[in-house]
Amino acid sequence: MSVTAGPDSYALATAAVAAALADAGLTRDDVDGLLVGSSQGIREDRLSVALARRAGFGELRLVEHLEIKGATAVAMVTRAVLAIAAGMARTVICVFSDTPVGGGPAGTLYARSGGNAGVRGLERASGVLGSVPTFALLASRYLHVSGGSEADLCAVAMAARAWAVGSEQAVSRKPLDEDGYYASRMISTPLRVLDCARPVNGAVAVIVSSARPSDQPAVGIGGMGAAHPMRRRRAGAESWFGGGRRAVDDALEMAGVTRDRLDVVELYDPFSIVTLCLLEEYGFCESGQAGKFVRGGGIAPGGELPVNTGGGQLSGFYLQGMTPLAEAIIQLRGEGGDRQVAGARTALVTGIGGRVDHHEVLVLGREAA
Amino acid sequence: MTTGRMPSSRQAVPQETVPGAGDWLVAPELAPNAADPVMAPVYDAAARGALALPFCAACGTPLELEQYVCDGCGASAEIGTPGREWREVPLAGTVHAVTLVHRREPDLIVTGGPYPVIDVELASGHRLILTTATPSGQVPDIGAPIEIAFRTVGAVTLPAVRFPAAASPAEAGSY
Repeated sequence: MSVTAGPDSYALATAAVAAALADAGLTRDDVDGLLVGSSQGIREDRLSVALARRAGFGELRLVEHLEIKGATAVAMVTRAVLAIAAGMARTVICVFSDTPVGGGPAGTLYARSGGNAGVRGLERASGVLGSVPTFALLASRYLHVSGGSEADLCAVAMAARAWAVGSEQAVSRKPLDEDGYYASRMISTPLRVLDCARPVNGAVAVIVSSARPSDQPAVGIGGMGAAHPMRRRRAGAESWFGGGRRAVDDALEMAGVTRDRLDVVELYDPFSIVTLCLLEEYGFCESGQAGKFVRGGGIAPGGELPVNTGGGQLSGFYLQGMTPLAEAIIQLRGEGGDRQVAGARTALVTGIGGRVDHHEVLVLGREAA
Repeated sequence: MTTGRMPSSRQAVPQETVPGAGDWLVAPELAPNAADPVMAPVYDAAARGALALPFCAACGTPLELEQYVCDGCGASAEIGTPGREWREVPLAGTVHAVTLVHRREPDLIVTGGPYPVIDVELASGHRLILTTATPSGQVPDIGAPIEIAFRTVGAVTLPAVRFPAAASPAEAGSY
């Protein structure tokens, strides 16, 4: 993982595969399934099923490239579980890799992606470049409806940074106070640069297997859920948020746990506003109360609901759904170092895609040795 | 849901920018693809000073621009078929959400300061995300009424937002 240009996405993915195999005590010959995910942006090195050949795998039984926008990485785990349950694979490696940082900053690549056709063509011609203005509109609407303010966004950014300070994997670890937040560059009101995910070039690989790892604490997949709400963008409709809760309810029900049993919650947080929306959407806060909860320290270290304990995508790193997934695994294995949540046994992981249109959820648990 | 045929209220002169002077906000390379079948009727109408948007021919539900089946009645509303009825709609709406964009991508954004992007709820029931027709560093309040005007990027005319105050009689004759 790097904040500067470097190896292409296949090289990063290959390195992540090797690291995951070493961590699990496995070899490529033990793997019979490969799932790959990549960013939707146009990249010359966009990861595809060609990784099977390039990363040195042998004869695989399952090879797929999943695409559910940002929800892909979390969905890969569910896909792997289903394939294993159906007897179509035994050990599946899920790989996500992205290289948004090239000759210029990632923002330049995002600003120049999207094309000139369809509704997106009209939006881009209207100055909606990249995803920040889009989520700024969501933030504007949410704060209007909830009666909140930019202090709510500030509290999310500060909580993420407070966690990141203790995370070896986080990119932005310098302590952040309110003055530092408000001094940060405005990108698209009300979102400042510290309200936005931290782009990196990097890759993460996660192995899902029917066999327990030989010398690692096992993390079990207790529940899975998904929701794809159809919110029409029409006058009179709150089209930006709502509709994702069923994914969490289903995953919790499958796992047989309730919200108060969750030790850590790892949300997909490309922008601070998304954390606020999802806390309400997923049933952790009453409607319009997430800002107050976060301002009271509810999600920060020492808070009652530890959220995005590695700094999330805001201060940790932006590798889409792999950011929350990897952090949940680290916490459940007790490998969180200075940001470890003591006794973490049950984690919720969520991935979202599009304009919060796709929700993929997992409940993970540390298994008894 | 039934939506009657909307009377249009055309402007005598659609573009608020001087022909050939270029758009105030973006470079010509951001001009939409005017031949894109999803959007072509929007740009064709804009070129004559009208806002045209799709409705379900069967039940009148205002459709999203990329929606090919009506969610109101289930009828097909595919592009280029009679099930998708393009109507000229009133040039009026209210503000759903706003942002003032400070980041300006070099060579693509040509204005010198922060610019507004407005999520508009149109009187027709549709939603569009637009900027303003003329240079502005302001955003309106959520819920405020706005009017639809037009701007030209490259060779394509697009709908845009005009604040009602800018349409005062004193200024109306200047374009």
